[in-house]
Formats: sequence, C-alpha cells, structure tokens
Amino acid sequence: MGLGQLASRALLRSSRLTTATRTSHFLRTIVSTPELHNSEVAAAQSQPEPDLPKRNPVGGARIHFPNPDDAIEVFVDGYPVKIPKGMTVLQACEIAGVDIPRFCYHSRLSIAGNCRMCLVEVEKSPKPVASCAMPALPGMKIKTDTPIAKKAREGVMEFLLMNHPLDCPICDQGGECDLQDQSMAFGSDRGRFTEMKRSVVDKNLGPLVKTVMTRCIQCTRCVRFATEVAGVQDLGILGRGSGEEIGTYVERLMASELSGNVIDICPVGALTSKPFAFKARNWELKGTESVDVTDAVGSNIRIDSRGPEVMRILPRLNEDINEEWISDKTRFFYDGLKRQRLNDPMIRGADGRFKTVSWRDALAVVAEVMHQAKPEEIVGVAGKLSDAESMMALKDFLNKMGSNNIWCEGNGPNPNADFRSGYIMNTTIGGLENADVFLLVGTQPRVEAAMVNARIKKTVRATNATVGYIGPAADFNYDHQHLGTGPQTLIELAEGRHPFWSALSNAKNPVIIVGAGIFERKDKDAIFSTVVAIAKNANAVRPGWNGLNVLLLNAAQAAALDLGLVPESNGSVESAKFLYLMGADDVNVEKVPDDAFVVYQGHHGDRSVYRANVILPSSAFTEKEGTFANTEGCAQTTVPAVPTVGDARDDWKIIRALSEVAGAQLPYDTLSAIRSRIRTVAPNLLHTDEREPATFSTSSLRPEIKEKMDMAPFETAVKNFYMTDSVTRASKIMAQCSALLLKK
Amino acid sequence: MASVLRNALKSIREKGIGNFVRGLREEGYLSALLDGNLMQTKIHNIGATLVGVDKIGNKYYEKLGDTQYGRHRWVEYAAKNRYNASQVPPEWHGWLHYITDHTGDELLLLKPKRYGIEHKENFSGEGDEYIYHSKGHTLNPGQRNWTRYQPWEPKKA
Amino acid sequence: MASTLKYVRVPPNSANMEEARKRVFEFFKTACRSIPTIMDIYILDDVAKPSQLRSTVASEIRKNAHVTDPKVIDMLLIKATEELSNIVEHAKQRHHIIGQYVVGRQGLTQDLGIKDQGNSNFLNSFYSGNYF
Repeated sequence: MGLGQLASRALLRSSRLTTATRTSHFLRTIVSTPELHNSEVAAAQSQPEPDLPKRNPVGGARIHFPNPDDAIEVFVDGYPVKIPKGMTVLQACEIAGVDIPRFCYHSRLSIAGNCRMCLVEVEKSPKPVASCAMPALPGMKIKTDTPIAKKAREGVMEFLLMNHPLDCPICDQGGECDLQDQSMAFGSDRGRFTEMKRSVVDKNLGPLVKTVMTRCIQCTRCVRFATEVAGVQDLGILGRGSGEEIGTYVERLMASELSGNVIDICPVGALTSKPFAFKARNWELKGTESVDVTDAVGSNIRIDSRGPEVMRILPRLNEDINEEWISDKTRFFYDGLKRQRLNDPMIRGADGRFKTVSWRDALAVVAEVMHQAKPEEIVGVAGKLSDAESMMALKDFLNKMGSNNIWCEGNGPNPNADFRSGYIMNTTIGGLENADVFLLVGTQPRVEAAMVNARIKKTVRATNATVGYIGPAADFNYDHQHLGTGPQTLIELAEGRHPFWSALSNAKNPVIIVGAGIFERKDKDAIFSTVVAIAKNANAVRPGWNGLNVLLLNAAQAAALDLGLVPESNGSVESAKFLYLMGADDVNVEKVPDDAFVVYQGHHGDRSVYRANVILPSSAFTEKEGTFANTEGCAQTTVPAVPTVGDARDDWKIIRALSEVAGAQLPYDTLSAIRSRIRTVAPNLLHTDEREPATFSTSSLRPEIKEKMDMAPFETAVKNFYMTDSVTRASKIMAQCSALLLKK
Repeated sequence: MASVLRNALKSIREKGIGNFVRGLREEGYLSALLDGNLMQTKIHNIGATLVGVDKIGNKYYEKLGDTQYGRHRWVEYAAKNRYNASQVPPEWHGWLHYITDHTGDELLLLKPKRYGIEHKENFSGEGDEYIYHSKGHTLNPGQRNWTRYQPWEPKKA
Repeated sequence: MASTLKYVRVPPNSANMEEARKRVFEFFKTACRSIPTIMDIYILDDVAKPSQLRSTVASEIRKNAHVTDPKVIDMLLIKATEELSNIVEHAKQRHHIIGQYVVGRQGLTQDLGIKDQGNSNFLNSFYSGNYF
C-alpha cells in the first residue's frame, strides 16, 4: 500500500467531507462529523452518484472463478462487482479498486480479524463490520468511504496509537511502516490519550530479529506466520487485554530458517532486522531487483544498497518460486559480501608469500604456465556461484586450449547431463502444491532449499499430503514418515514391498524428489534407475504431470549441466598440472598434486586461495550481470547493485582477457555476444524469468544400468544451513546463526 | 608583617635554607615577584580560608566578611607560569563562578564513573598534537577508514 | 621565492621577435629557478624529478613555437607568468600540479605503449577498468 496512494485518497475524501461539514462546524473536534450519530442522514448523504469514474483493482488484483455459477454480485461504494462465492468483503473491495486499511489481514496467512482497522459500513448492518473476516454475500451494499467507516477507522487508529510509543524518529521501520502510513491517511489529527503508555519487555528471538515489543500492536501476523508458514510453534500470545504480549513463553530463540520474514510482515517496528538496526533509512537505499544465489531455488530478491555497500536484502514477489518469503540465509548473508574480499591480482612468489601484481603481469604468468602444461593436464572447475556466461566462457576457453576437463562443483564426478529432465525439478516449485504424496529421497529440503520446503509445508497444511522420507535422521517442520536411511528402502519401494508403497501408488499426483547429494555417490546411476522405476510404477511421470524431480543444491548447477560442463575423465584433479578454479572452494585441494599450478579466480578468500598460485579477483553476484538457472530450470539474471571492489573484474571478462593473452582469443567481447554463443548450446538459458520445461523423456531412453547399488545409507548433503559457500562462510551473521541456532 | 617574617625564619630554621628557597619557588613566591597577578592573589590569600584543592593542585580560596560580595572566591592556579581559566576542572567551575555553593569535592562524588572523562585544559596554540581534530581531519592521526569492505589478507596463509 | 618573482614583469610590448625571444628565455629561467620551491611546497619529490618539471615547462613553451607575432608572444608570456606566480604562491593544490604537469609526462604513468600495441580494444580496456 503506497503512502502516496493512501494520502491522495485521504485528501480526496477529506475534501469531500469538509465541504459538506464546513457550514455547520468551525472547530474540528475528534468526532469530525457529529451528524453521523444519525445514520439515516449519513445514508442519505452517500447516495451513489449517477456517473461513476472508472476504478481499477488494487495492485492489479485479478479474480479467478473456479465455478462460474458461484459468482455473486456485491456493490462497493455503488460499483457493482462480480466475485466468486466465499470471498471476503475486503477482497471484494480490493477487486472494486478500494484499498481497505488493514494490519492483521495478510493474504497468505489465516484470517484473525483482531486489529479492526478494516471496518467498513454494510447496509442493513447495525454496526461497522470487519471486512477481512466477513464473507461477502450476494447483493451486499458495502460502503467504504462513508462518515461511519471513517469514524470507525479514526477510532481504531486512536486505540492503536494509544499504547504505541512515539519513537518513529529512532525506529527502523520509520518510512516503511504501515502504522505510520495509515495513521497519516486514515487517522485523526489529534488524540485524547493523556495517561501513561504501556511498556513491554523485549524478547530475545535470536541473532536475526530485533524486538521492540512496546511497539507491537498485537496483529498476530508473526504468530500466524510462525505456525502456518515457518512451521515452528515458538511464538504465541500471552496475557489478555492491555497485558497482552507476543512472546515465546519460555525464553528461547526462534529456530526457523524463515524467521527473517516476520520482519517483513510486521506492520510496525516491533520486529526489525538486527543486523540492519540503525544502519540506514529506507529512503536512502537504492533497490536493485536481482536473484539469490546461495541455494538452487533462485529466490527473487531486492538488493538495497547505499553507495558501494549492500545494506540489506528483501524478498521480491514471485508466485512461482518464493512467493513473498526468503530464507534467513538469503536475507542475512550480505555482510559476507564485505568481508574477506579479494581485491587485487596476486601471485605467490618463490617464498610462498602472495605479492600484489598488475592484471597484465598476472595474466601473462597464467598464460605462460598454461602453455607449458599438456592439454589433458589442464583442468577447470566452476564454483557454486558461477553464472552461465562465465561458465560458457571458461568451457570455450579450455576447449580451445585442448582440454575438456571442466565441470561445476556439486555435480559429482560423472554427471549425467544428457536429459534435462534428469537434473531439474520437473514438477516446478509452484506445481508442488498440486501433489498429494511426497517421497523425498536423500534430500532434506529444509536445509537444502528452504523455499521448496516452505512450499511442501504449505501443501501438507492445505491438503494433508503425505510425506515419506528416505535418508539420515533429519529435522522436518511438518508431519512425515521416516521410511529408511538408504537404498534398501528404495528397492523395497520399487518392488512394492514397503508399507509406504500403498500411499504412493494410490496417489493422484505423486512427487518424488531426489537430492543432489546423491550425485556424489558412485552408484548414482543405479539409484536413479531405481527411482525411475518407482516413478514408473507409481505413474508419477505421465502426460500432464511429471512428478520426478531432482532438487539441486547450488545456483550454478543447473546452468552448468545445461551448458554441458561434464568432465572427460574421472579423477582429473589428481593428475592436473594446471588447475583453473573459477570460484570453486569445495574442491578437495589436498588431492591436487604439489607441482600443479592452481589459478583461483573468485571474490572471496575462502578455502582454495590458500592453495592457489595466482589469484584473479572477480566480482560477486551483487556486482555483475549474470544468468542463473534455478533448480526447476528457470533462468533468471542478476543485475549489478554495487560497484566491484578494488581491482576486481567480471568473471567472463577475466577469461576473455586471459584467452587473448594466451593466444586463444574467444570470439566475444560483450555480454550479449556470449549470450548468442549460449543460444547455440542451451537456448533455454536466454529465456529469462520464464521456465522452459524439459522435453518429455521416458525412462526407456536411458541406458540399462548394470552396476549394483551400494547399500551405504544416504548422507546429509548440507551440513550447515547457514554456511554453504564462500560468501556465507565469510559472513559474521551466518557464523553467529550457526553458533546459536544449530547447537541444539 | 612581623608575624610573616617570624614564621619564615622559623621554617628556615626547621628545614634549612635550601629547602626553604625550594618551597618558596614551588609555592610561586619567586614568580610572584615578577607577576603582578600572582602577587595580588598571594596578598589576597592572607587571611582567606582554603576551601579545597583539586586534583591538579589548584587551590580554591574564600574570604567572607570584609571582601566585596562577588569577589570572595578565587583560585590560585597550580601552574605558576602558564595558568589559564581552562585549568579549572568542571566540578570546581560552579563553585568558583557562584553557580553553586557546593564545593568541587562534593560535586566530584556526583561525577558518573562509567562514561565521565577526564578534564583537559585548552591547549590552543600549544601545538597540533594537543588540539582536538575530528575524525575526518587531515591532522587527526586516527584517520577514518572509508573502505567499505575488508580485503582478504594473504599473510594468514 | 615569491620575492624574486616580484621583479619579473613583462613590459607592455616587445618591439620585435628578438626581444620577445629574449623574454621567453628569461621566463624559462625564472620558472626553472622556482622549481625547487614548487617541489618543496607541493611535495612532488615522490612523483617527479626537477628535470621532468623543467622539460614540462619547456614543452609548454614549445607548444606555442609556431607563434610569430611578438604581441601574441607577450600575451602568452603574461599568462605564463600569472600561472607561475599562482603556482609559486601556493594558490593551487597538489593534485592540480600533478594532474596538469606531472601525469602523462613521464611521471606517475605506467609503461603504456609498445607492449599493448598488438592487443585488442577489449584487452586494453580490461586493463584499465571493469566498466566498459
């Protein structure tokens, strides 16, 4: 709800009102229109004008009629609106283009109806009704800008402000506060409260959420969010009346990977971001709409920056991916972008110390050493955070140098990139809502992809879907059945011997999600063929429904497989003489031979730099434009929000420059030229923000798997939710979180 | 006058002539011969009551009765050569300027322990190192670091 | 050094080229004599050598070698004297001097040229910065 929009509407209304009342009133008291006590007069006053100007639905709200017979007609301020049955009065008003003020109502949470801000007048109703909780009935005449509604709002606002502290100047919510905006638009210009204000003890909700509970207006949005979306029962209401408080009952931290979202849904400054506290005002920030890269979900985010600094990260609405939530890792890892940065090219001298050099010298050294190595000894590894453009450039460059040993970390030693449907999430994240049975194989979505987990949780809550899980003991925030820990259970399921099989086979829309941690196993092909067999038996893959999914771990994985970053030979790291690490920090540097020359191109001094011979500083995802494909195969681009640090360069530019110095010049000078090269390899990466479904593949196309499955149980793919890559490992906040929240 | 002389002779006898002269110099009697201000203060001090001595050694005198009201409190600075009004610490300032009747020793008890900082006299003209420079000032030795990121340090390798 | 400059005045007109030429040389000598002061007050020891500044002055003068009108030469001399006295009186700041008279004239510059001639535009702009 924009302040400007509210203000203009309020102005419009007040001007209408003042013209009506000016003759009778000189001084405006708290009840600005005493004639309202007589509701006939008020009713007579607000006769609909014959010619009504056109109104548009609020925020482009659209209605979907599941059943055309159920459409009913209501009148909002005299406008006839057709809405489906079961909608609330507030939703009807939104479709009619009237924005009703609200605090407790949130479209993604259950209805509480306790703030009373959304009171409207309904004809033939003795009192104003709370529109958020009132179902619209056929022929209802709703009036939103009558003096009665206005008086009701003023009264509610006065009550809300009674116990609300006047600390907007030192409140972090100032400038983006619903209470501030709505009191400007709908509140009275004076109050009658002279007593002492209530004060409430602050609660400790952990290292991420700062609480100033005196500011709380008890809308209970956070309580409902915690139970319904985050799936933790930590928050609740204590006490009654003026002693009412939001709290955790016993002192404990909010142990949820989505806890940061309560900051966004809190309409006042009671819950604010702890790392962002007193750092900036929201009007000084420049918002850049970008994509998150800390996991494979590709949550849509807005990067708020001030000058060269990322100040905070907020979610952006994308119904297909993250709705309007993001995980705590996405929201709070940004301080890692300011620490441990590589800012100058460096060469390790003979004494083992790094020396800062110019780009010219660094590239010359790299090119010279590269020519001395045999082509099959040249190995390239793309990191977790690499964008598609730089991976394309790296692959083209190494191919020109005669090597084809290039892969992206996380995809395992021998990835299968032949069928796109074999490594992406075919059901799509939004499509998970249609599922009725989930089978999670070796994946713990709660730590691997928190937003996918939120979607599963939403489905479980809405439709009571069954969840079966195969893997090591794990934490789930919804009901699930732990079927087993290893491939043995898979075989039982495939043969129909397992008790869960009946649930799976009876399911209408079964979903099988395989974790990308299995890529690292030697017997992954056998596991996949068993899973395919289960899917076939359960009829999970059929026209119109593809329930066989792989949940990837890293932002770069899907694009790397799309681009065909598949190594020629296994174990090439062990025999490498020249190793090019493009942000790859999870490569086992112990295995790299001592005489190998290691080039590390990246933005953070993390694990691999200590083995590197040359360091080429590159830009982080907040500083460059790059394409990332998420786990469902949807390509999205990041946009530079802040300038690069020090003497760093964009990844693809470094490779392009190095290729020229090495005498194998790549044929592209601009990002768009690389993209047209990508078009010839993986055109789906260019259709940004649009998911390109994998072409339908039947399992018969796969070669028969001969090898036997290893019966070793599945392993946890992500050990620490908060620290998965070089940026999050550099972040202090993430370190705090893992120390406090994971200790258990 | 005779009693002053007698006291002086008595202390010479007790302490010896060398110590007596050193005491005279330390008390500022020798500087007072050239410094009229100090001399006048010394003359004033005769018969006045010493109310207190602060931590840097300034002596605070008061003389009621035959002194003009408003001139009945004064300070004899500890520094006999370079004295100025900014050497009076804040706890004595109020007493000295008739703002309060509480002496500095009483007010010192009210001074906050946690964040109260030590009084410093005004060093203007005494050299750059004594003068306060704000954080962004070129002459501030602790220059503010405007780098918004922390670079990786290769030394730790 | 400002005191020596007090005596440098350019009289209204030079009668002929000979006189103008003599004045130019006189100006050059004055400028060279003030170089130690300039080095001192602008702290230029770490960015330039006196010989470099001398050749800078000479090249500034040679820029106008094509001028043949004594009146124009007089005018240019007046401007040059003004500039010199501004510099000597510390009316400028260090970066003005470095920007105008040091950078790009063998001081502070890196070895541009020969090495980079075979490079593409991309590589040259890559070496100079990330944004191009």
